[in-house]
Amino acid sequence: MVAIAVSELGSISPTPKGTPLARLVGIGKTYGTGETAIAALRDATVDVRAGEVILIEGPSGSGKTTLISILGLLLRPTAGEVWLDGKNVAGLGERALPALRARHFGFVFQGFNLFPALTALENVEIALTMKGSKTGRAARAEATRLLELVDLGPRLHHLPADLSGGQKQRVAIARALGGDPPIIVGDEPTAALDTKTALGVMELLRALATDQGRAVVVVTHDPRLERFADRVVRVEDGLISSITSASERHAS
Amino acid sequence: MWNLARKLLLHDKLRFVVAIAGVSVSVMLVLVQVGLYFGFMNTASSIIDASTADLWVGKKGNESFEFATPFDDRAFYRVASVPGVAHAERVLMNFAQFKIADGSDLGVQIVGVETPRAAGPLMAPWNVIAGDLSRIGEPGAIVIDRSEYAKLKIDHVGHTTEVNGVRAEVVAMTTGVRSFTTSPIVFADLKTARSFMPLLGTDAVTYVLVKVAPGADARAVAARINALPHLAAYTTSAMSARTRTYWSSRTGVGAGFFTTAVLGVIVGFVVVGQILYSGTLQYIREYGTLKAMGARNSAVVRVILSQAMISALLGFVIGSGLAMVMRGAMKGANLTVALSPGLYVATAIITAVMCSFAALLSIVKVLRLDPASVFKG
Repeated sequence: MVAIAVSELGSISPTPKGTPLARLVGIGKTYGTGETAIAALRDATVDVRAGEVILIEGPSGSGKTTLISILGLLLRPTAGEVWLDGKNVAGLGERALPALRARHFGFVFQGFNLFPALTALENVEIALTMKGSKTGRAARAEATRLLELVDLGPRLHHLPADLSGGQKQRVAIARALGGDPPIIVGDEPTAALDTKTALGVMELLRALATDQGRAVVVVTHDPRLERFADRVVRVEDGLISSITSASERHAS
Repeated sequence: MWNLARKLLLHDKLRFVVAIAGVSVSVMLVLVQVGLYFGFMNTASSIIDASTADLWVGKKGNESFEFATPFDDRAFYRVASVPGVAHAERVLMNFAQFKIADGSDLGVQIVGVETPRAAGPLMAPWNVIAGDLSRIGEPGAIVIDRSEYAKLKIDHVGHTTEVNGVRAEVVAMTTGVRSFTTSPIVFADLKTARSFMPLLGTDAVTYVLVKVAPGADARAVAARINALPHLAAYTTSAMSARTRTYWSSRTGVGAGFFTTAVLGVIVGFVVVGQILYSGTLQYIREYGTLKAMGARNSAVVRVILSQAMISALLGFVIGSGLAMVMRGAMKGANLTVALSPGLYVATAIITAVMCSFAALLSIVKVLRLDPASVFKG
């Protein structure tokens, strides 16, 4: 496992823990119409707060991906409200969403999704540039800072092919941090990693929440990750069947 | 953006080489084919373009410059007396048999011009590099281009032979004076030309070249000449264009060259389009990730267009180099590839447009790419 000294991450004037960052209220998503309509998600309500790690668990096809896609403004719900910055953004048009996503969300994926032709530094830099956060030398300096933050300072100029799975995911996390989004959304970010590396990546995400006040929302099948979570949201058959806090889990 | 585009292109080197090869061949084909066409057309009108006349007067009904019907001196005098004509000269053009050293005959195109005079002729052999052009007025004197020496088995200025059985002597050598009809051009004085072709009559004329008086309007003078019976007058530029159009349309040479050039563009389009599209598919998840993170469509499209432009630029540079090599090789075969700055600029624009259109399929793909798809496995 790659040890992370969480204190090393430092602080970015963190938002006080518990500050609401996003809220899904009564979210529903139905694909298709009429007799062929399929309700992927029904009446889902979740708060996303600063400094928290939320795990979303559930069997395949339960609606987890739909839930985080709607939270990340990648998918528009057919019912309910998505509150961000004190505004309901559920009804916003496609043109408005990229800027909102750039400002509020960073994404981490199971498959890393790094450009194989670009070095670690360039992968982060291009994301910063294309998000419009930074350009030129400023983007390069920020990308360097972010990679050093995730302990990849010595690997700046390595191609993804020359990095381990854990290192690739750290690059992806550094990329997700570009533009300083308050919410990090992860789609099974540890699924492709061995146990030690997976736990290392979760430690890093936990540290981002604890030390930097970001909210981290992670979809996972892996119950071993629950120990990093403040809350675990369980989704079954398109419904949120339970939301348990860390203290509730400890009590049980 | 350029850096990303460059690295994505270069990441798969074989694919990159194929893309650049496709554009290069396309550029080379366009330049060489269109250059050959312009080279042919320049050759077709070279005699007209080399004259300093304002007007060319021929027999009405002539379609081809080379195969014009002759008339006689009376028409020349009528033209010379038209108001606004300052000076007129006769040209006799026809085909004749040139006796080669081995005893065989070869068809040549005789161009009989009036002997140089003090004011300077309106038509005379140009680019003279050897011999004495002032001797052209001597009986039997002829001037032949260097490029035809091998074909006519001439090895020096001073070579003597027969044209239609009449003694002739090469008194000067030109360079770059080529015939479109493949029959070598043989310049001679008008009297000598007439002596080569007695069957046309002793006062045969094919064209009258006119210099209009200072202040006179060439078109107005042409209109007056056109009012004369059986004669048609054209400004030199109109005569040149008419001749080019004739050879281009009647022989199909224009359609042939341009069809090959268009095929070249299509080949480039297909190769670049396929390469860019397969590259886009290869990185579709990464593009989706960037879109998910808030990258605008325009930013992602710029990456693909940048790849297209890099392919266009490199392909243009290499293709232009290949075209220059081809031009050198074709020069040996007496073929002129006219590569003008204008042709390069036009080809560069065509290449950029071709590559941009080739990128359209990839652009549509990323525009339609749902960023949520990166969450779907």
